[in-house]
Amino acid sequence: MWPQRMELVCPAGTPATLRAAVQAGADAVYCGFRDDTNARNFPGLNFSVPELAEGVRFAHGLGAKVLVAINTFARVGEVDRWRRAADAAVECGADAIIACDVAVLDHVARNHSGRVRLHLSVQAAAGTPEAIGFYARTFGVRRVVIPRVLSVQEIAALNRAIDVETEAFVFGGLCVMIEGRCYLSSYATGRSPNLNGVCSPPEEVSYDEDADGMAARLSGFTIDRYRPGEPAGYPTLCKGRFAAGGKASYLFEEPVSLNAGSLIAGFKAAGVTALKIEGRQRGKGYVAEVVRAFRSAVDAVEAGGDAVEIDRLLAAQSEGGRQTAGAYRKTWR
Amino acid sequence: MVAHAQTMNAELPAFVRRLSPAFAALPLGPALTLSLRALARRRPAVFERLGEFRRERYFIDPVDLGFAFTVVPDGERAQVSVARKGEAATCAIVIRGPLLALLALLDGSRDGDALFFNRIIAIGGRTEAVVALRNAIEDAELTPADFVGLDGPLARLADAGVLGGLDMARRLAAAAPARAGREP
Repeated sequence: MWPQRMELVCPAGTPATLRAAVQAGADAVYCGFRDDTNARNFPGLNFSVPELAEGVRFAHGLGAKVLVAINTFARVGEVDRWRRAADAAVECGADAIIACDVAVLDHVARNHSGRVRLHLSVQAAAGTPEAIGFYARTFGVRRVVIPRVLSVQEIAALNRAIDVETEAFVFGGLCVMIEGRCYLSSYATGRSPNLNGVCSPPEEVSYDEDADGMAARLSGFTIDRYRPGEPAGYPTLCKGRFAAGGKASYLFEEPVSLNAGSLIAGFKAAGVTALKIEGRQRGKGYVAEVVRAFRSAVDAVEAGGDAVEIDRLLAAQSEGGRQTAGAYRKTWR
Repeated sequence: MVAHAQTMNAELPAFVRRLSPAFAALPLGPALTLSLRALARRRPAVFERLGEFRRERYFIDPVDLGFAFTVVPDGERAQVSVARKGEAATCAIVIRGPLLALLALLDGSRDGDALFFNRIIAIGGRTEAVVALRNAIEDAELTPADFVGLDGPLARLADAGVLGGLDMARRLAAAAPARAGREP
């Protein structure tokens, strides 16, 4: 049985983080294998098959679920690797597979129906009743991770028009683009989150110190410069500071993090089934702290209470301390 | 937050730094090599998580000591050596920071990303190798007892003593006059 109360879905980049998230109150954790079948393919991160099996046993022992992200797009001639990842997730006892590629969705639907749920990854960028209906009818998708471009009102309207669950991001890094359709990393490095599982791959990143401070570069492109002692950030192109028109500014997106904590009651009213915390590359201390805070907030909302304070509680956890509710609250309209 | 950053940013007191040449004369390299290899025998998965990067040479430079270390974290073939500050160019990866902050990374009491993005530690060279090391340490949940192979109540006692001592050292260092008497 999947709960009627909103479910808290939390990131786990390593087995230690999985344990920390579950112990901090996650209803479900999501994680991936140690290769490019998942969209957080960073060195030293992710799970081997035995680690996932052990992680599933641990989570189930404490009543939590494990969702396995196989959420990159399979490359021509290499689809078998994505199929094998799905098979391994099922063998490990995963509760759901999060996928976007129709070949992966089709493989799971044909071979593992009834043994594992299918959740549609945000990478599929399905945000209309028509698109979601297609995935539900064709592959039996049970839940859709909503692209971070819809307002809460639009999500409510969407939920009224579909009969599958929806999962909304509430906290963490924020893509400026519609997920699955960003080519900035591909342009600079030849590699992308959608195909290779990593945006701004670390082997293309360098931090160069000089007398004026530090330059962050991606494949030789200077993404930002920091004065001595100034807090730095990971050099993703969309969060870079560039000189144009005679001044330096964040051309694509300010380096802010998503914090929709104050909208939890709104998500509940909009019919959202699950709230997702981003950050599989973040440390277990960070994950545990964020999960604990959101656990309290979700429980408060479910009990009919108020979660207004959650923004303040989480402010210190956010990148650079700057936060936004993103498209959920389209103040520019 | 400010107090927390100051604790992490704190360098060793001047009198400790003055003793560092004496520490360098100790057989630190062989002792740390044996410790790392023993850890690899007990917890091989920690080193497997490093993948190809376990054979890289990391230059670990505590900025408040008069010497540095080179580390090849290759499991049971791991090698640690004491190095001169000028030897960084011989390594593919450089990690610099106050000794107490570097130790906080090892014992997991501080997140590597936070230390780096707040400019308390600095990295150079192959970023992907640093990311792999950070993730491997993050998952390992190492304790001081792991490095000397202790188990049970003795391990808990050693962990409490060492971690408590490190925490106190950070507070004392943070409270000391800022960088007073720093070696030239």
